[in-house]
Amino acid sequence: MTFSADKPTMIEFKDVHKYYGDYHALRGINGTIKAGEFFSLLGPSGCGKTTLLRTIAGFEDISSGVVMIDGKSMADVPANVRPTNMVFQSYAIFPHMSVEENVGFGLRRDPRSKAEKAKAVDEALEMVGLKGYGKRAAHALSGGQRQRVALARALILKPKVLLLDEPLSALDKKMREHMQVELIKLQRQVGITFILVTHDQEEALVMSDRIAVMFEGEIAQLADPETLYRRPNSKKVADFIGTMNFIPCTILSESGDKVEVDAKGLGKVALDIHQAPPAKGETPVVGLRPETLTLLYPGQSANDRETDGVIDEVIYFGDMTYYDVYLGGTDVEVRLSMRNVPGRPVLDVGTKVRVAWSPEALVLFR
Amino acid sequence: MANSIEAEKRAGWALVSPPFLYTLLALAVPFIVIVGLSFAGLEGGRARVPLAPGDAEKLYFTFENFARVLSEPIYRVVLLRSLIIAVCVTLATVLMAYPIAYFVSFYVAPSKKALWIFLITIPFWTSYIIRLALWRTILGYNGIFDNFVGIFGIEPMNLLSNGALAITITLSHAFAPFAVLPIFVALEKVDRSLLEAGQDLGETRWTTFLRVTLPLSMPGVMAAVLIVFIPVVGDYVTAKLMGGSTTPMIANLVEVEMLKKRDHAMGSAVAVTAMATVAVISILFVLLNRRFIGSKK
Repeated sequence: MTFSADKPTMIEFKDVHKYYGDYHALRGINGTIKAGEFFSLLGPSGCGKTTLLRTIAGFEDISSGVVMIDGKSMADVPANVRPTNMVFQSYAIFPHMSVEENVGFGLRRDPRSKAEKAKAVDEALEMVGLKGYGKRAAHALSGGQRQRVALARALILKPKVLLLDEPLSALDKKMREHMQVELIKLQRQVGITFILVTHDQEEALVMSDRIAVMFEGEIAQLADPETLYRRPNSKKVADFIGTMNFIPCTILSESGDKVEVDAKGLGKVALDIHQAPPAKGETPVVGLRPETLTLLYPGQSANDRETDGVIDEVIYFGDMTYYDVYLGGTDVEVRLSMRNVPGRPVLDVGTKVRVAWSPEALVLFR
Repeated sequence: MANSIEAEKRAGWALVSPPFLYTLLALAVPFIVIVGLSFAGLEGGRARVPLAPGDAEKLYFTFENFARVLSEPIYRVVLLRSLIIAVCVTLATVLMAYPIAYFVSFYVAPSKKALWIFLITIPFWTSYIIRLALWRTILGYNGIFDNFVGIFGIEPMNLLSNGALAITITLSHAFAPFAVLPIFVALEKVDRSLLEAGQDLGETRWTTFLRVTLPLSMPGVMAAVLIVFIPVVGDYVTAKLMGGSTTPMIANLVEVEMLKKRDHAMGSAVAVTAMATVAVISILFVLLNRRFIGSKK
């Protein structure tokens, strides 16, 4: 998961803006993507993530700012000569060509001999697990196979950057999870910079070295998956990535590297400054992930802090059970998740419980 | 349930029977009569419809009508002229229609496409005879065309006097909308992300067009070619009004045999020969297309 910062920069955005008429699609994008990185652009639909990807590919002109690829400005560089290749959301497999014609499409100007090109096509097909499929008609392929053809077609050109526009969204859940792992392996194998656009936060967490979370044409947070999940820098990011309980609080004091708050239902807590990202001018709340809260069964005691509660709702998932619990006689409801293991019965609605939690898991938004 | 399926079947037959009957009477019966007549001889006269009383037993089967069609130069010359004119008209029409269809499909806003297609059909609002009269005015001696080129000091060309050229120009104009529509439909079906994929894989707009858009629109082009070529070979009124008596097409010969000479057998033989030629050319065209452009369906 850790990403070494010393790798060279592959892509750099400098204050990139994009307007469609009056609509401000990209509002000052800054940031860098390192060589060999698996990078994700994550956000809800309409946040500008696909537009940003398309500015890298050269399908969208930017209104102002600079997009650099491998140290060169891409202004006035058309899509067909950029060192990028794309796997389209629809895969864009040419329906009038066979699999090998599709994969070899970009080799037309390649000076190699016909036999060498054919060998390259075979190797590319083998790399994506489609050995022997070359002669098949493109329209006879399944969704997963089409995607592999699209991957082979892009990777055979050895681009500096591979762009993936929601490549897994059309696949069913099993196939999607399978392809996630395959894509990660493939990326390690070829060492090319991958940039993935997705609206699926789980997919982004699983696959990426780093993630840029985008809302309304801006990058809200750019960080590695663990930081994004554990230390989101805003309520919005926290809410988009996974589930988070938000508990109203008042800030009692702030001094140096400590912030003391009084959270409703939890009581007074002292937080480290790292748990309090820069203020956004919002009503203060503390955030807690469901898995950082634990139900205490009779005889168990908390390592850290403990609060009384009443179970309001039970959602059974097989391996997990989610409980919605009112905290400490207040109207503050939190969701917590418990792994279902032997000797730990699923509790009923209305049961009075004790909830254990750790101040270190809290994040303060204000 | 079996009952309702039976009832549905009956309803289906009831629905198709009027057009079926119409097709049978208006197409199949005349077609069989024409084919029959083309192989018919009559002792002491010419086979015709209706037969004179008592002539039925004098009918015999013969190839002599076709032998005459193939041996007398007039039929060959006129059929060849019809084919050449049809090829020229088809080429001109499809070459003009493709850019129009491409423009409407790729550059016109989706909400305005229907309006554009509607505008393309405007020529149909005027009677074809009137359009022919207008073309005569445009192309004739000292007509609009001659006056226009006169501005540049060019002598009157009287294009109307060149029957084949006048026929080609007139028919190309008349059939253009028929060619635009199938090409437009084929282009509409081309997934736009394929064009981006083409450019992403290193091709320019133009080479992407050649490698992706054009092959994918070939079914529409083929439909356009057949829709224009087949009726143009058999066109009658254009040649009559634009070609005068000097440049008849094959349908004009059929008219002469059928209505002027009252020789129904010869008229039928000419018609069947033309029909067979068109059929063979069309089938060859379709097969060649499958072979070389290979629309892998």
